[in-house]
Amino acid sequence: MAGGERLLEIVMPQLGITVTEGTLVGWHKQPGDRVEPDEAICDVSSDKVDSEVPAPAAGRITELIVAVGETVEVGTVIAMMEADQAPAQGVPSPVAVAPGGERDAAPPAPRDAAGRGSAERHSPVVVRLAAELGVALERVVGSGRDGRVRREDVLAAAEQTAPAPAPAEESVYTPPPPGALSRMRRSIGEHMKRSLSTAATVTSWIEVDFSAVEARRRELGVTALPIVAAATIETLAQFGELNAWLEGERYTRHTEVNLGIAVSLGTEGLIVPVVRAAQTLGVTELAERIADLAARARAGTLSPDEVRDGTFTLTNPGQFGTFMATPVINQPQVAILDTEAIVRRPVVVTADGAETIAIRPICVLGLSWDHRALDGVVAARFLAALRERLQS
Amino acid sequence: MTELTYLEAISDALRVALATDERVVLLGEDIGAFGGAFKVTAGLQREFGAQRVIDTPISEEAIIGGAVGAAIVGMRPVCEMQFADFVACGFDQLVNVAGKLHWRLGLAAPIVVRLPSGGGVSGGPFHSQSPEAWFMHAPGLKVFAPSSAHDAKGLLLAAIADPNPVVFLEHKYLYRRVRGEVPEGAYETPQTAQTVREGDDLVVIAYGAMVHAAVAAAAEIEEASVRVLDLRTLVPLDERAILDAVRDCAKVVVVDEANYTCAPGAQVASLIAQYGYGDLDGPVVRVATPDAPIPFAPALERAALPGSDRIRDACRELLAY
Amino acid sequence: MEDHAAAATGAEHDSATFLQRDDRIALFALMARARAIEERGLSLYKQGKVPGSFYDGRGQEATAVGATFALGPDDPVCPLIRDLGAHVVKGTPAAAILGHYLGRTGGVGRGRDGNVHFGDARRGVLGMVSMLPDMMVVAVGMAWAFKLRGEQRCALSFFGEGATSVGDWHEAMNLAGLWRVPAIFVLEQNGYSYSTPSARQFAVDPLQRAAVYGMAAASVDGNDVEAVFEVTREARERALAGEGPTLIAAQTMRMHGHGAHDDAAYVPAEVFEHWAARDPLELQRERLRSLGVDVEAIDAAVRAEIELATAEALAMAPAQPQSPLEDVFCEGEPHVVGRGAAPWSRFAG
Repeated sequence: MAGGERLLEIVMPQLGITVTEGTLVGWHKQPGDRVEPDEAICDVSSDKVDSEVPAPAAGRITELIVAVGETVEVGTVIAMMEADQAPAQGVPSPVAVAPGGERDAAPPAPRDAAGRGSAERHSPVVVRLAAELGVALERVVGSGRDGRVRREDVLAAAEQTAPAPAPAEESVYTPPPPGALSRMRRSIGEHMKRSLSTAATVTSWIEVDFSAVEARRRELGVTALPIVAAATIETLAQFGELNAWLEGERYTRHTEVNLGIAVSLGTEGLIVPVVRAAQTLGVTELAERIADLAARARAGTLSPDEVRDGTFTLTNPGQFGTFMATPVINQPQVAILDTEAIVRRPVVVTADGAETIAIRPICVLGLSWDHRALDGVVAARFLAALRERLQS
Repeated sequence: MTELTYLEAISDALRVALATDERVVLLGEDIGAFGGAFKVTAGLQREFGAQRVIDTPISEEAIIGGAVGAAIVGMRPVCEMQFADFVACGFDQLVNVAGKLHWRLGLAAPIVVRLPSGGGVSGGPFHSQSPEAWFMHAPGLKVFAPSSAHDAKGLLLAAIADPNPVVFLEHKYLYRRVRGEVPEGAYETPQTAQTVREGDDLVVIAYGAMVHAAVAAAAEIEEASVRVLDLRTLVPLDERAILDAVRDCAKVVVVDEANYTCAPGAQVASLIAQYGYGDLDGPVVRVATPDAPIPFAPALERAALPGSDRIRDACRELLAY
Repeated sequence: MEDHAAAATGAEHDSATFLQRDDRIALFALMARARAIEERGLSLYKQGKVPGSFYDGRGQEATAVGATFALGPDDPVCPLIRDLGAHVVKGTPAAAILGHYLGRTGGVGRGRDGNVHFGDARRGVLGMVSMLPDMMVVAVGMAWAFKLRGEQRCALSFFGEGATSVGDWHEAMNLAGLWRVPAIFVLEQNGYSYSTPSARQFAVDPLQRAAVYGMAAASVDGNDVEAVFEVTREARERALAGEGPTLIAAQTMRMHGHGAHDDAAYVPAEVFEHWAARDPLELQRERLRSLGVDVEAIDAAVRAEIELATAEALAMAPAQPQSPLEDVFCEGEPHVVGRGAAPWSRFAG
């Protein structure tokens, strides 16, 4: 990779703090020409000023990318050069935490230490609406944070035309004082809820005979997961609609597969580290990467880059015996594949031209997919193709 | 109608004003022959002459005070501070002379002071400030802060026509990045707020560049309908529009690119807390730049200034409340 | 720096070509009126009737009156603390001035600003602000507008030595000299800025700064009202001929403290004695007596006039709180600087 480090990008500079694009006016150098540091490579102009672009180091021009007269956005790579020596690498500074972020949060709802049974504090608009609409606030179930009553709850309660049931006798059941869910739990919850309310989530299942998978895994000394992952990635190449992002109107089909692997953090929650460019890795490499990410996920040492930009997610909670699930899509992806327990079942097989019962390791693969981005036919064909691969 | 950038709209306003009102003159550093540091006044001196588009020495007090003098004998001077930050060098004439003149002496001081303001351009602490709150706080000054090309032209023409001194914040990040349909010829934008995105579940109140960040954040929040109210003028502040939006939406996020303490949003928040209390279904949340100078390095600046992500997250948290 | 008291020239000035006999009488009467108003104001202050502080320009009447007398009706003036004479020349009634000190509704400032911070803009007088010399910058702006529009008008601004240390003064001087605006700057050189003698205020005589900023300079005996008139008249001609501004240094002395709250103990007694012998009113009285004018009658008439004005002012209602927001913004007609009195006979008719 030594040559790669010496390859330098020449970019369109920003000639003025409000400028957004520049025009290539003329090249001083051609591919193959030598340049010295600060020597002009080309002339550029913006609507404020004309300037030249100097070479960042001594070396040779390798490629001119932008044509004379072309206008490109600031930061666009306009040429490549190979430096005589690899430039010194700066150490990237740690990602700054947005200090303002701390102030942006709404303060917590006022809580009554005595718990239920004491008067809850309601917001002004809730009190006013309840009075105007004749709604008894004690009977309204709150959908807000920590169970507080929100404006929508009062409005919804008012819409119910059925008369309120006679007030119950004082309940003999005294629940324990409520607590609150952890921040991580709430964050996961938000994400799940948002996903379900954003996507048109449908789940399709297929039963797969895992005999070939079992054989392969014994042979390679890995778990079934990397094998399923590799087969999934190969199948995604055929069904690119499932390797995409849908964000509002924006639909992005990815060529890389950044495979997210759901990792359980016990009762605390779960996290989805991402194997980037997974399509370049073989089964053993996948196994190693997954194991490494999972271990670091549990140790809490993942970097922010390792949990972002996933294009497809794989989840496999089957170790406890459950055999089917309806996984929730990891926004903004459009699909998620769930592999549950591998259960030895009696199945009908054909041997010597006759049907008979055999015992096979069967695994149900569940694919939750977003009906806004694709139809059932694609999902079904994907699962069929995946099964084909896993069974061969 | 033509599609113009925010910057072109401002230039157009100046051209229309110079062409239709002989009382209008422009003063500033490097605005004449050079066309201005940002090229807003490019071509104007050639078209209208050096008697109407005037290059001044580096003398912010003299530019502003001199403009006041010309205004009280009947002219309509439009001053440019090269960067909003430099208005600090002319603060005394603006606050103590211009702002108090009508109240003390009954004379109108119809000057406009144009301030290229705001960050997001790696300008560092002295080229990125949003000083509007200083002038909201000084009696007698009007403060305008458009977010669109259409309003930039309309509010600048309104400022020139107004008999009061107007501090005009033109956000330099928006100069070439925002375009829009702009009517030809003369028109004035009313000195009021405007709803730029409809919604009922929550309203984001913002002005200037933050309007664009707010709209982007609102678009990401598909699970709720988020309104965005563009204040457009800070003095006069459209209190009616603010309180109406609170009544409709019950949840408010107020965004400032200016530093948190006593930013314009603090005034908006206090107004809502006092006069909109009965309509609130949650605390009034503010998103603002922390109380530190604006850094120069891109990663540091991005972390300081509010962007659509922070606004979106604040909205989601409040929606869930 | 040499003792400023000795630097003033006391030369006789022949202004017979420009001043009629009535003008010379008027110059005296205007100074007498200014002094009488201030004496009355000080007395009211000591009686506790004037809220806040009280400032006067006793001893500097010749500078304020002489310079303003040379201005035309459309030439605005920006007076400072010692220049009540300028207000009087422009025609501001004594009752309105006293009513202003007393904080009455009929006072010029309508109770909004006090002591010398007033000016009837309808008569071409721009009231000062505390930040010195802000109004000088405004004067430059007005003068520039006159030049731009080809009008035969100039603007005059008064200030003391201390103001020449402020950044605004330098910006105004630079711009005025650079653009050759029709402005007249009258530097009242009385040797003190509050309690700070000039030797501790700057390194050079401020008059030397005129050349540095590209404008004409003149020095004059600030206690000789006709000399001050003459040098200002010349400066006005220069300005209207397009030859740019003039800095006039008027040598004079402030006979009271900075304000009524200041006993000026920092001024050596002999300095006061020297200047007391050169009282500007007395100098002009002498001149008029030698012309056969009954100066005592003028003095008596002025005293009577001020008695009436005082009674009128005391009868005015105190300024009442209206809406505090009233007039903060201009919502109606934008008024411009108006035309004032110009008692010099040259402007009569």
